[in-house]
Amino acid sequence: MARTATPARRAPDRRAARRGPATAEVSRASAWTRYARLAFLIPAVLYVLFAFAVPIVYNLILSFEQTSPATISSLFAPFAGLSNYKATLIQPVTQSAIARTFIFTAGSLFFQFIIGFSLALLFNLRFPLRRLARSLIIIPWLLPLLITGFIFRFLFQAEAGAINQILGDLHLISHPIGFLTSPGWAFLAILIANVWIGIPFFTVLLYSALQDVPVELKEAAMIDGANGWQRLIRVTLPIIRPVIEVVFVLGFVFTVKVFDVVIGLTQGGPANSTQILAPWAYQLSFQQFDYGQGAALNTILLVIALVAAPVYIWLNRESLRRT
Amino acid sequence: MSRQRRFTGPLAALGALVALVILLFPLYAVIVASFENNSQLLGTHYNFLPPTPSFANYSAVISAQGGHIASTLVIGLGTAILTLVIAVPAAHALARYRFRVTGLLVGGLLIAQILPSIVIANSLFILYHKLHLLNSYPGLILADASYAIPFSILVLRAFMLGLPNDVLQAARVDGASEWKTFLRVVLPMSRSAVITVAVFAFLNGWGDFIFALTLLSGSTFEPLTLSIYSYIGEFSSNLGEAMALCVFGLLPAAMLLIAAQRYIAAGLTVGSVKG
Repeated sequence: MARTATPARRAPDRRAARRGPATAEVSRASAWTRYARLAFLIPAVLYVLFAFAVPIVYNLILSFEQTSPATISSLFAPFAGLSNYKATLIQPVTQSAIARTFIFTAGSLFFQFIIGFSLALLFNLRFPLRRLARSLIIIPWLLPLLITGFIFRFLFQAEAGAINQILGDLHLISHPIGFLTSPGWAFLAILIANVWIGIPFFTVLLYSALQDVPVELKEAAMIDGANGWQRLIRVTLPIIRPVIEVVFVLGFVFTVKVFDVVIGLTQGGPANSTQILAPWAYQLSFQQFDYGQGAALNTILLVIALVAAPVYIWLNRESLRRT
Repeated sequence: MSRQRRFTGPLAALGALVALVILLFPLYAVIVASFENNSQLLGTHYNFLPPTPSFANYSAVISAQGGHIASTLVIGLGTAILTLVIAVPAAHALARYRFRVTGLLVGGLLIAQILPSIVIANSLFILYHKLHLLNSYPGLILADASYAIPFSILVLRAFMLGLPNDVLQAARVDGASEWKTFLRVVLPMSRSAVITVAVFAFLNGWGDFIFALTLLSGSTFEPLTLSIYSYIGEFSSNLGEAMALCVFGLLPAAMLLIAAQRYIAAGLTVGSVKG
């Protein structure tokens, strides 16, 4: 009894003792540590608010305001309801820019995938200097996009343009094509330039996925009598599917917001035939000084881009779960 | 199988060569063009080699655009430094500690990568007008870092999640503060990822066009992309110089690719697939 009584009596004392100086120090340290840990994050949180959250919200506000060059000096302008959206969407240029953005995106992704995947399969074979070849292929990805657009403008010139010259030398055409002056060809020109930019991205990512396909699986399929095509469709593609999904989602996101290439190559012309969403929104805001309409079109572009967000987050669920 | 190898090797090499010639032709073309004069560039046919190679375009560009090249360097370096200062500590915190907001923040960064820059630029133009940040280096660098910061935090975090936990634990047991653990242990161990991220941030700042176009107007400095843009208006009058300026614009990408080659391919893969 005495034994049990003693601890019972002492217990509060011990707890009190622990809650004394020692405990206070621990809890003070952990609060301090918690603040120290938060301090690592604070600059990033402030930056995300400054560079993403505030501009997106402000763009939304702007799209519902009656703006004019005079209202820029004050942050807010009179409420305009949906008039900016109506005024933008009623314009034939906007309608065709939206449709063209989808065609441009689908076309870019299709050719980028076909060419990028073929190159990835090619680089997956053994051949001399393949490491050099692989690093050279990254170059188009790293160049300033405006410069790429400008270089293609030079290549697509009528008479002195390299592409017309090559097509002529191969006797594929008898007269130079007006890539920059005829609407249909100009659209093809921005598509080709954009496919060129995207090929390295598709190649590098798909190649690294191919590297992770276990050789034993391919050998097993080979022993089972599967030919090269069957091994590709039945073994390789299912294994690398997650990477293909990521590549398409990111490719979609990169392509719907293309701006620099179009400005460098055609500035949306001739006759707005290469106008897609981002350059057209720029033109509304900064050349026609209708910030409200520009903001409305930006919101539409934003909504289209954000369609990819749930898919992208779902594909990254692993990295979110590690929290 | 070995006979098959013997055939596929050279064939694959040939295929890769053809692909590279086609893919790298625009770069070859711009270098050749930078050594030609205007009448050759705008004549009746395309020259695969410069008929009378000359450095005239380069000397003209260096004297007329030297200041712009320096400005672009400042913008690129500023973007890289700002990105590292913000992204490295944040990535460390998101990889190492549990916060209630971790999931929200990582999700937010994934979405931030998706947001079109033109939307941000449109708003920043008016906000900067109020904040007096138009036509300034700090304003432009803050905007340019928006390309790199979400990507950098995600890449660095993915990398840091892979660091061995026991080393960090040991540092903590030895009594190192959070800050010291970060500086003396985490940072040196993450060197390769930090280099990748810095290279990308630099290239983003160096090659930015949207923010320069919208947030600078009549400013005292201008980056190369804006100078090249102004050549579009006078396409026929100074094409040779524009081409030489393009070569300058391409140089850092090419140089950094050679210098940091192994970091780049690895970083791109991690960032996009395992971000």
